[in-house]
Amino acid sequence: MTDDLMRSPLAGVTFTAPFVRELPFLAMVNLRVGTFPHPLPGPNRVGTLDGRDVLWLGPDEWLVVGPPGDAPAIETLLHQALGDTHGSVVDVSANRTTLAVSGPHARDTLAKGCPLDLHPSVFGPGHCAQTLLARAQVVLRQVDADPTYHVLVRGSFAPYLAEWLADATREFW
Amino acid sequence: MTHPDRLWRNPCLKWSYDVVIVGGGGHGLATAYYLAREHGITNVAVLEKGWLAGGNMARNTTIIRSNYLMDESAAIYEHAMKLWEGLSDELDYDILFSQRGVLNLAHTLGDVREGVRRVNANRLNGVDAEWLTPDQVKEFCPIVDISPDVRYPVLGATLQPRGGIAKHDHVAWAYARAADRLGVDLVQGCEVTGFVRSGGRVVGVDTNRGPIRAGAVALASAGHSSVLASLAGLRLPIQSHPLQAMVSELLEPVHPCVVMSNHVHVYVSQAHKGELVLGAGIDPFNSYAQRGSVHVVEHQLAAALELFPVFGHAHVLRTWAGIVDTSPDASPIVGPTPVPGLYVNCGWGTGGFKATPASGWVYAHTIAHGEPHALNRPFGLDRFTTGALVDEHGAAAVAH
Amino acid sequence: MLLIRCPWCGPRNEVEFSYGGAADVVYPPDPDALSDAEWGEYVFVRDNPRGPFAERWVHTAGCRRWFRAVRNTVTHEFREES
Repeated sequence: MTDDLMRSPLAGVTFTAPFVRELPFLAMVNLRVGTFPHPLPGPNRVGTLDGRDVLWLGPDEWLVVGPPGDAPAIETLLHQALGDTHGSVVDVSANRTTLAVSGPHARDTLAKGCPLDLHPSVFGPGHCAQTLLARAQVVLRQVDADPTYHVLVRGSFAPYLAEWLADATREFW
Repeated sequence: MTHPDRLWRNPCLKWSYDVVIVGGGGHGLATAYYLAREHGITNVAVLEKGWLAGGNMARNTTIIRSNYLMDESAAIYEHAMKLWEGLSDELDYDILFSQRGVLNLAHTLGDVREGVRRVNANRLNGVDAEWLTPDQVKEFCPIVDISPDVRYPVLGATLQPRGGIAKHDHVAWAYARAADRLGVDLVQGCEVTGFVRSGGRVVGVDTNRGPIRAGAVALASAGHSSVLASLAGLRLPIQSHPLQAMVSELLEPVHPCVVMSNHVHVYVSQAHKGELVLGAGIDPFNSYAQRGSVHVVEHQLAAALELFPVFGHAHVLRTWAGIVDTSPDASPIVGPTPVPGLYVNCGWGTGGFKATPASGWVYAHTIAHGEPHALNRPFGLDRFTTGALVDEHGAAAVAH
Repeated sequence: MLLIRCPWCGPRNEVEFSYGGAADVVYPPDPDALSDAEWGEYVFVRDNPRGPFAERWVHTAGCRRWFRAVRNTVTHEFREES
């Protein structure tokens, strides 16, 4: 559900670098479960579930990501899939916003503040990780080989991280 | 002054001493000196596995202050301060004690309240202390950035005018020479590998140079205290951590005092020679490696640069780490142990240098009398059974 | 800088972790039965070995799971089995 009252933590922020943009209001539903009837991605990987992306967060924790407004449908989907199985389904869409960093300078930009090895031989499309970017906790995923990365960051850290990205990208354009 | 070729003898190791001190750092040397000077016990050996004052004594940031919150701490550190003030004369060696003032910055309302409270507590204990406004901080130390829009704005500071720095090597050499002149044997390259027991009592030490009998054995081995105590079957409430520090290249005089900030974990002074001396918070993990992780240094430098934008022009010349012995209440442990004949002096954590004279003074008293002096009675091992802790985390330079 | 192997996420940089001190510290089954000295020992005294050390870490910035690891306190090397 989107409505006029929704406001991104990055509303009004101008992204100076042409290869950084915000993808606001993505639906995010947190799933905690022991055994799930459908296959879920393993460590540090992204899978799909009924057209949505599923990010591995931990040994019993995943984040299901869909387009804006999709959270209720995802919740319904997960509840139905769980059936009588014990598990937790929570809409956390308001928790984070998403920054997309793409193109030939994306990797060098992120490498300035991320302790992960982002070399394509180690971290490529379909990979995700909970890690730090400029000391802010983020969920990082690589979407394609351009490369395009999505940085999922909590709302309270988003303006800081946007400013950090503006500084980190300055040399590249 | 023409410097003598040798400050102390290279003595022949005897087979028996009244007191064997394990560890030839500042505290061990000071203990030996005060045993001889104050108590007439001169048949003393200081055993050092490396070279004199080559451990934390060579690795600390030489800050001296006594503005601790708790009565027990203020008493022992203020005793140290009074000894520092007369030490160059007493030891007839210039330790370059410079009472240039120590600022402890406050960056939050909580810091301000703690700082004001500590100033009041210090004054009640006869320790010089003042509360400074941001403008007064700027006046006292012009290179501190007091603008209100930084991440950790300066909201004020405590000042101990009598605080300052000294030259660590000179302190060690001065104590070593004075102890040596009084007959103490300073034995380098002598590592203690075990304890000689008779009944339940420690009556000597085994070393890489053979067994040595001793009327009393006194540990003064900082970060290695747990390792040595375990050889005597004793478990200490001590954890050993790396504590990193660094210096810049030599600069013109730019920084007139000592600035510490608990909140952002950095403390800075400018040494007599001209290098900026910076200390960090401890690395969180246990270690005996004398090295820490670079992100701790990075964090510390970021804090230093925000407080002192002028440091952006300086270069880090070298970094290093010591092994600090932290205790559960951030206070030292000085006194007898449950093992008869064995004494322990450890747990000074990140703040041992400033205590050197008092530590040696009370430790010598404790060894000479077989029981603690009033100043170190609150700092016994027994407080971890009675629960009478001296909870000094707030006034320690860094959190640990 | 330590490279720490999270059992769930794999090798990660030390900055993603927080330290939990000694592992295998068992809460006394009957605290009331302990003497003051024994209770003090449980509360305040931990091993502090020079060499292999079993310790707790938590992957704070990752999966947020606690785990046990054996690390050498002199070389900082982690031992594979824990």
